[in-house]
Amino acid sequence: MKLIFEKSVKGRDGYSLPQDLFDDIKIEECLPEYAISKDKKILSEVSEVDVVRHFTKLSKLNYGLDDGFYPLGSCTMKYNPKINEKLASLNNFTYAHPLAPEETVQGSLEIIYDLNKLLCEITGMDEYTMAPAAGAHGELTGNLIMRKYFVDRGDKRHKMLIPDSAHGTNPASAAMADFQVVEVKSNERGTVDLTELAKLMDEDTVGLMLTNPNTVGLYDEGIKDIEKIVHHKGGLLYYDGANLNASLGIIRPGDAGFDVVHLNLHKTFSTPHGGGGPGAGVIGVKKDLIPYLPTPIVAFDSTNKKYYLLDVGSKSIGMVRAFWANFPVLVKTYVWILSMGPDGLYNASETSIINANYVLAKLKKYYKPAYDRYCGHECTVTGKEYKKYGVKTLDISKRLMDYGMHPPTIYFPHFEPYAEETIMVEPPESESKEMLDKFIEIMIKISNEAKTNPELLTTAPHNTPIRRTNDLVAAKRPILTYDDELKLKDELKYQDKNIDF
Amino acid sequence: MRYIPNTEEQKKEMLKEIGVSSFDDLIKEGVPQSIRLKGNLNIPEAISETELEEKIYNIAQKNSNFYLMKPLIGAGAYRHYIPEAEKFLLQREEFWTCYTPYQPELSQGTLQSIFEYQSYISRLIKMDAVIPSIYDGASATAEAALMSLRLTHKNKIIVSNLLHPHYRETVKTYLAPHEPEIIELPYKNGLVDIEKLKILIEEDVASVIIQNPNFFGGIEKLAEISEIVHSKGALLIMVIAESISLGILKAPGDIGADIVTGNAQSFGMDLNYGGPYNAYLATKKEYIRQLPGRIIGETTDVDGKRVFVMTLRAREQDIRREKATSNICTNHNLNVIAADIFLSLIGTEGLYQISLLNTKSAHYLENLLLKSKKFEKIFNYPFYNEFLLKSKEDISTINKKLLENNFIPPLKICEFYKEENLKNVLLFAVTEVLSRDNLNKVAKILSE
Amino acid sequence: MTNKVIENLYYTKSDEWLKVEDAIGTVGITDYAQDQLGDIVYLEKIEKGKKLKQDETLTTIESVKAVSDIKTPVTGEVTEVNIKVIEDASIINKKPYGEGWIVKINIDNKDELKNLMNDKEYSEYRKE
Repeated sequence: MKLIFEKSVKGRDGYSLPQDLFDDIKIEECLPEYAISKDKKILSEVSEVDVVRHFTKLSKLNYGLDDGFYPLGSCTMKYNPKINEKLASLNNFTYAHPLAPEETVQGSLEIIYDLNKLLCEITGMDEYTMAPAAGAHGELTGNLIMRKYFVDRGDKRHKMLIPDSAHGTNPASAAMADFQVVEVKSNERGTVDLTELAKLMDEDTVGLMLTNPNTVGLYDEGIKDIEKIVHHKGGLLYYDGANLNASLGIIRPGDAGFDVVHLNLHKTFSTPHGGGGPGAGVIGVKKDLIPYLPTPIVAFDSTNKKYYLLDVGSKSIGMVRAFWANFPVLVKTYVWILSMGPDGLYNASETSIINANYVLAKLKKYYKPAYDRYCGHECTVTGKEYKKYGVKTLDISKRLMDYGMHPPTIYFPHFEPYAEETIMVEPPESESKEMLDKFIEIMIKISNEAKTNPELLTTAPHNTPIRRTNDLVAAKRPILTYDDELKLKDELKYQDKNIDF
Repeated sequence: MRYIPNTEEQKKEMLKEIGVSSFDDLIKEGVPQSIRLKGNLNIPEAISETELEEKIYNIAQKNSNFYLMKPLIGAGAYRHYIPEAEKFLLQREEFWTCYTPYQPELSQGTLQSIFEYQSYISRLIKMDAVIPSIYDGASATAEAALMSLRLTHKNKIIVSNLLHPHYRETVKTYLAPHEPEIIELPYKNGLVDIEKLKILIEEDVASVIIQNPNFFGGIEKLAEISEIVHSKGALLIMVIAESISLGILKAPGDIGADIVTGNAQSFGMDLNYGGPYNAYLATKKEYIRQLPGRIIGETTDVDGKRVFVMTLRAREQDIRREKATSNICTNHNLNVIAADIFLSLIGTEGLYQISLLNTKSAHYLENLLLKSKKFEKIFNYPFYNEFLLKSKEDISTINKKLLENNFIPPLKICEFYKEENLKNVLLFAVTEVLSRDNLNKVAKILSE
Repeated sequence: MTNKVIENLYYTKSDEWLKVEDAIGTVGITDYAQDQLGDIVYLEKIEKGKKLKQDETLTTIESVKAVSDIKTPVTGEVTEVNIKVIEDASIINKKPYGEGWIVKINIDNKDELKNLMNDKEYSEYRKE
């Protein structure tokens, strides 16, 4: 498809400028010569109609959650309720300036304050900061909180334990806090090996970052022992909330002894992913860690009945962003919790766990699970038996696209027994049994195709807007802008791009 | 429950297929009884959609009617007009509900849009490689600072104290574990003190961070600063808090910046009480392997079609884990699409005109206020669309008057700067949402 | 194992090879290593004169979907860097033992060679 630049026509415009451009004031009288750009910066020149058609067409090249099944493991692609969007976009919220006087933003502050209380109850924590913009931002914030906590005690701990199955952001976040990452191997049940943990957890160790259920969808049944081992050596327990969708109303990280928790509001709490954010990675802590939260937090003055931004104080790690929160994400979360209530939240987790185990039960004859046990809200199997037909998991996932479904998460984790052919399926509560049956039917069909007609898979997808991409050329000779493309015009041989307007 | 299609009957059927008698039976192994939550969560019972709507409308009423309140404040968040076409297009579920574009076959819409945005920003700031989406200006500046430590293997940074105070705080927070030396570069007469920079700059400095226009709205002498910074082998990190200014101001890449970060909120993003905004982080070709975050590149598919993919991936956390250039994963992607649509609508001429208009109308207001004799200039510096004025009247009284007249008051600068001469000083911001009538009214209110 | 292993070279567990000629050692990555990485796109610059201890990270190598550290098999100083592979790292995919060599190192202590494997041991180590 053409780029917006290729649709540009000199003299065309798509914006309505104010009538009064203050032409009575001369720009030379406002700005010194050294500041002003000699040439106009060239963007594009298109009409509003052009823009609307361009982006509508672009959107049709995407596959969204409202288009169908989206079983990405550890991503919790659940339905995004429409009422959430409407209520998050009320003018009184969207036009609120972050530095507007507190008396003008009492409504916004009330939502942040109330949501804090609700999240504390749902997870068993004592206080939340709404600042972190995404899961990894929350992890960084959490690591900095733990670091400051120990620094304040003159305790020079510098190692962080992270299971081998952890999402890549865990070690990357710990490294940003300048912790040395120590990997904890999984046991034969796919969870944290307690003997190994006990060996590694020493007095130089900050603690353990754990996802529960872990990133392959298995509950750590040894959670109580894990808690004892880490706390016994004075360490802290960090809960990665990526998989909280298996826990609502069932188990609270706070009760299980976790000291720091991050929640991905764009996963468990139904807010949309937007093709890679914005989400929110709010952080909850136990009482002892409240003084270290990023500043400010929202507090309530019960005498004057006013909400206000409270400076956390001298122990705070400081600020982690320019302003307070990804506010509309908080509104959507708040609205979702209120529409679900306690029974709804429990129902969400219960249904998603049943969904995942149902898929596992039906698929395990065709795709072997790595561990013979029930799973949480997602199930992990491998496609390694199809390697002998020359078919990789990648091919299986690409073939799914031909049947109109989004592929599950693949190739993670890499280690045995997955043998790099991991398929991780997360069917959240918003998926019906009929949808799961359809998915199962297609997966079985693909397993037959792998044996009888592997080429159908290795050349898949066939029915998508584009087909497999050449990632090697992209990395070797990066073309990162339209101007890069223009420079290489003669070298690049594209199938005629003018056909596709 | 309307968001959960499976009925109780269906769930029972599925449990049977799984081979367990009940849900408890299914999870008893993974969640030992001893740690299961006893009883229900103590949160309010579910309410219907109509009740919900009423409840949230009522809470929203506790805010001021912000649509009608024109801001005289900027300080890192600027109200600009957002064309309706942008808002409408953005809500297409294909953009709104999809996941990160790991599968290029199903996400060319998102990928191409990001590529277009990278191309726009590259032209505006004259940098080779643009990371389209860090959370916001503050976190992007912190990432840029970390990047400069990696590139130079040095551990000292000079930061202009006319860098947005919250950005400065964020840089400190992000850098704290690495225990760098952070030196604040003072200002003089509303711009960074260049003589002081000459003294502070040494061979062991990794980078110098300068915001332009600075927090007071002032336009820095970047060419001169760049020469001083580079004379000792340090990198110049240029920060833009108000990106509309790029319509008229010189491109950072043309005046010596090595790394540029910019708050893109002004490119079609709502104020939203502080977020989500978005920031770009850009650099020269030779430094691209040290960039944090995602970037989109062009290539072909097996049919020879031009397509777009995530590229230079080996820097990222899912591949490099603890050795990644950053931990960033989910970012503010939808805001990138918003900005791409915004920049497409506003176009070459629109951006230039709005940038020009913001400069002129800010100067118009400054002039009116000075004429009223109720205000005086404390520094004499060239500014873009924000400026400082000292009031002869108590600023709390002034701000109250403005609030009563439906203006969000300007920033009391003493909230951030404790200097004696900055007491009773206001930082005004003007954008195109304030018409000449609005500005005349402000001047009238403040001269009474 | 179908990947090539060459006689008379030393091998590390992290899949580097070392060729010893007097006090000079030439270092590269094995055929197995390049095969695991897939299409190599980038090799991080290495400074001549860099001093490293055995098993320390010499540089990092990047393919489209993976990245890996290259470690030095022996303690010593980098005396020569193969500019050709820095410019076009894909040579390593094509000729890991020949043109795809990475650096030459002045070997400090030949006793360290004891810690390395010979071709037979390495073949056994990487046998599937």
